Amino acid sequence: MSDERKAKSNTSAAERVGGSVKKTEHKSDEPDFQTLLHAWLESHRASLVDSVSRLFKQPIGSFFTCLVMAVALSLPMGLALLLDNVERLGGSWQRAAQISLFLKLDIDAARGEKLRDEVAALPDVAEATWISREAALEEFQQLSGLGEALKELPENPLPGVVLVTPEEVDKDKLEALRTRLAALPGVEQAQLDLLWVERLTAILKLGDRFVFGLSLLLIATLLLVIGNTIRLHIENRRTEIEVVKLVGGTDGYVRRPFLYMGALYGLGAGLIAWLLLAYGLGWLNEAVTRLAGLYGSDFGLAGVPSGDALSLVIGAVLLGYIGAWLAVARHLSELAPR
Amino acid sequence: MIRFEQVGKRYPNGHVGLHELSFHVQRGEFLFVTGHSGAGKSTLLRLLLAMERPTSGKLLLAGQDLSRITTAQIPFLRRQIGVVFQNHQLLFDRTVFDNVALPLQILGLNKREIGQRVMTALERVSLKDKALQYPADLSTGQQQRVGIARAVVHRPALLLADEPTGNLDPRLAAEIMGVFEDINRLGTTVLIASHDLALIARMRHRMLTLQRGRLIGDGEAS
Repeated sequence: MSDERKAKSNTSAAERVGGSVKKTEHKSDEPDFQTLLHAWLESHRASLVDSVSRLFKQPIGSFFTCLVMAVALSLPMGLALLLDNVERLGGSWQRAAQISLFLKLDIDAARGEKLRDEVAALPDVAEATWISREAALEEFQQLSGLGEALKELPENPLPGVVLVTPEEVDKDKLEALRTRLAALPGVEQAQLDLLWVERLTAILKLGDRFVFGLSLLLIATLLLVIGNTIRLHIENRRTEIEVVKLVGGTDGYVRRPFLYMGALYGLGAGLIAWLLLAYGLGWLNEAVTRLAGLYGSDFGLAGVPSGDALSLVIGAVLLGYIGAWLAVARHLSELAPR
Repeated sequence: MIRFEQVGKRYPNGHVGLHELSFHVQRGEFLFVTGHSGAGKSTLLRLLLAMERPTSGKLLLAGQDLSRITTAQIPFLRRQIGVVFQNHQLLFDRTVFDNVALPLQILGLNKREIGQRVMTALERVSLKDKALQYPADLSTGQQQRVGIARAVVHRPALLLADEPTGNLDPRLAAEIMGVFEDINRLGTTVLIASHDLALIARMRHRMLTLQRGRLIGDGEAS
């Protein structure tokens, strides 16, 4: 907008010194704010239309550029979505970090249920479940395959158990809670198995870091791809740029169509990446649900959340714009009129 | 309109393009700059277009000191100037209309006004009926006239031309010079760099003669 304002003042200056224009013609060169705004919008519209038409003039080339960018975008995004699914598969963290309170053998069901209620009322506890000695034995018989042998035992060797689901998964807080629960009357042992939780957390953190590193690498690749594509467009329009500069086009005016082009490449890439991810996850999901079914689970991969899809497209547009801006900034100074 | 005060241009490799050049041009004048190849004609035009800066002296264009102009001001300076090139510098993927409209689009004029001004400019160079054709469909002389229409469509105060008849036969060259004179009659200052002394002599306008970057003659061509 400032360019056009300056243009106004300079056009007027030209008329003052030039004297080449009849007095009646001068009036049309005094645009008001609305006219300037319209001119600015018109200039953007023209740049956008020009960029779109240039992309469609080379549909195959444009498509493959978008496709390369889309693959670069969909790889880290796809991995991030898979990691989300793995986290979901691992169950909620609260469930993963349950504390098992093994009660003394002389604790009967009534006292066990009372203890369950006391534990459930504690502030750091989300849920507490009572498993009676009989229920524990029945489950063990089913899971161990030693059902007949266990029937031969003179009495049930298993204690009653209160399963405690903590409010928050924090190693220090969980350890403190376990110590507190172990001190409760009637509790023989309080067991907290955090090792596998820690391992899963470490694996997921590694995965997150890998996705982050890969994202940085592929964003750099994407900027290079868009930068190189825009550089070729600039080379193809070298004469036009030189002429535009000679007849008074500002750097902003020269830059504008290339920025739109970069953003349009980004938009195309974002949409293709979205489609690739949606179809890719759908295709993978068939195998995953079949495998999960064999384990008696109804687990399935979640698709691309609409929020993530929108972020993907907006991010792609921004990356395209930034890549184009960097390319134009680098090459514009080389395109001074000769 | 134009004032050169002891203007010098020395290139980084030591070559001297212009040597303490001093002259001034009145508003509405028509003048030629002539000299052999390497005399400094193109350097003079490049200084006026702020494509290069003087290394010494003072160069004023419409009161603006070009030796002190900022990079951001250059586009707005160029909007006061029309330029015609020997090789036309037309955009061959655009119609004649679009080529001529380019300076007006940069100024941000609306479509209606662009349409009116382009057609007026094309009429001035007798190419109104070629508006929707592409430059490749035109003769060399017609292409040069399109270049002139583009140079004057935004009503510049100053029109610069670098060897505008260099590739044209004498009849076409005279025709193009006639167009320049028409434009000059409307009040535009016209400065033409040319080494075609025969053509210049016929025109009987002021002529600056350069030799190795020095001004060795300033007077009416004869």
